[in-house]
Amino acid sequence: MKLIEIHNAGFAYGENEIFRKIDLSLEQGTLCCLMGPNGCGKSTLLDCIIGVLHLREGKILVDGRDVLSYKPQLLAQKIAYVPQVHDRSFPYTVKQIVLMGRTASAGLFGSPGKDAEDLVTNALRTVGIAHLSARSYTQISGGEMQLVMLARALVQQTPIIIMDEPTAHLDFRNEMVFMETVVNMIKEHNIAVLMATHSPNQPFYFENKGLDVNVAAIKDGGIYCHGVPSQVLTETSINEIYQIKSKRLTHEDSHNGQLYQIVPIKTCER
Amino acid sequence: MIPMKIRTIIFLCLLPLCVMVISIFVGRFSISVSDVANSLLKLCGFQSSFVSIESFTVVSQLRIPRIIASAFVGAALAASGAAFQGIFRNPLASPSLLGVSSGAGFGAALAIILFHTYWPTYIFAFAFGIIAVLSSYVIARIYNTVPTIMLILGGMIVSSIFSALISLLKYVADVERELPAIVYWMMGSLSSVGYKSLWALLPISCGLLILQLYSWHINVLSMGDKEAHTMGVNVKRSKSLIISGATLATAGAVCLSGVIGWVGLVIPHIGRMLAGNDNRKLLPFSMSIGAAFMTIIDTLSRIIVESEIPLGILTSLIGAPFFIFLLKKTRGGGWQ
Repeated sequence: MKLIEIHNAGFAYGENEIFRKIDLSLEQGTLCCLMGPNGCGKSTLLDCIIGVLHLREGKILVDGRDVLSYKPQLLAQKIAYVPQVHDRSFPYTVKQIVLMGRTASAGLFGSPGKDAEDLVTNALRTVGIAHLSARSYTQISGGEMQLVMLARALVQQTPIIIMDEPTAHLDFRNEMVFMETVVNMIKEHNIAVLMATHSPNQPFYFENKGLDVNVAAIKDGGIYCHGVPSQVLTETSINEIYQIKSKRLTHEDSHNGQLYQIVPIKTCER
Repeated sequence: MIPMKIRTIIFLCLLPLCVMVISIFVGRFSISVSDVANSLLKLCGFQSSFVSIESFTVVSQLRIPRIIASAFVGAALAASGAAFQGIFRNPLASPSLLGVSSGAGFGAALAIILFHTYWPTYIFAFAFGIIAVLSSYVIARIYNTVPTIMLILGGMIVSSIFSALISLLKYVADVERELPAIVYWMMGSLSSVGYKSLWALLPISCGLLILQLYSWHINVLSMGDKEAHTMGVNVKRSKSLIISGATLATAGAVCLSGVIGWVGLVIPHIGRMLAGNDNRKLLPFSMSIGAAFMTIIDTLSRIIVESEIPLGILTSLIGAPFFIFLLKKTRGGGWQ
């Protein structure tokens, strides 16, 4: 079932065109990695899908309905969002932050009731930070913060989660923790994830874990290539997208099967 | 065993009520405890012939309306401050951020110069407070959306315009009578409050009710507009409603008491140290503490010296050491 369908999408900030004629769709239980150089419009496209920005042309259907026809509360029951980096404000507890994910499911004034507390506890356990529940969220690390954001998206209980470079600020281990959690979430809850990322090795990892994953790379305002990571992300395409000379290595592992890795060598002329 | 939540509610109601009742018994005009008690009984409709007309008048016509006003002013400023800090994601925000104080100040100064009587100052202060905030909002809307930074800029512009106009009015004011009245109003005072001015409790109550109803939305909005939107909050509508609520409450307060700084900025932080940052809990705490604090301050201003000390001076002088004490005690409440 197609949860998100993007038809002929175009966007511009004033005269400055960001992308045009983009077609993309996201199926239930699958993961789509959105790639492309800085400033290519990944975040802008994601912002259009969550209804923060409006397309200049084309349309976006969420669960069969135009995204612009949704009220915020209903859209928040379809799509949850994990930001690249959360700008912390007041020293709320971690639990309070995750509880905010229940706003869309609560009544008129959005205040979640007692039943939401169990969901929060479960979500914190799922992402492995139950011990942080009562901590002030201004005092936890960046890696833990992203897991809090993931837990908050989880309690929204949406069929779709959109993530904007969620691992950009995480250390080596926390990046793995985050990705493992995403894999488990997709497998257990059969949700669809659309995720902007800069690392070509992330789609390879997800493919290796047996997810139904595909890559869409944006270049020069349009989709440059779209498909299964092992077929689409080659030395040639990496050169085309990022102007980088690279080597694609294959790691054979008796437990985990084949795992591809792109090793960057040097930049080349545009 | 009474559950925690109900105990908290009882405590939050009793705190300002106790302070208010005690305040009725103290004042410059000395009245014996039994006379005050008898006056209160008489006010409640009991026959009580033991109290002099003079004492009864002081208690019923001067002290009681003034004490009620001080409690509402404190609650309104503290809760509006907490709400503004939340939706503007800025712990330094105060209720006057969008220009309500300077607008009200201009209204009051204008009324003082035009009419020379007290009651129009309330209406003018209230009306211009609202006009100032509406202007800030209109300025921010030039870009169609209402981004936070534009609102704050709009507030700064409107505040500076009204401050300039206040200076202009001071310049043209009669030095003997009008100028002192304007200056005194700007420093805050409840000395002229009577039952007639208590209509301002209506906008204050409406404002506080709106804020309390939307207290959870204040939490979510403090995550930033974009994240609040993805969690299902209609950002534009909720923000406008919360700003309206805070403005109604603050304009009502400012027109009763004049400009009082500090309360709206710092009482919410005292609330944060005691109740945490969930606005569902923080707002009632702020209202309760604000009401009690303001009543104490106003009572002190009545009794310390012969002529009353302006409230704006006392709030800082007495509030600051208390704040520092709490800061030390709670280790900053999770900031740093």
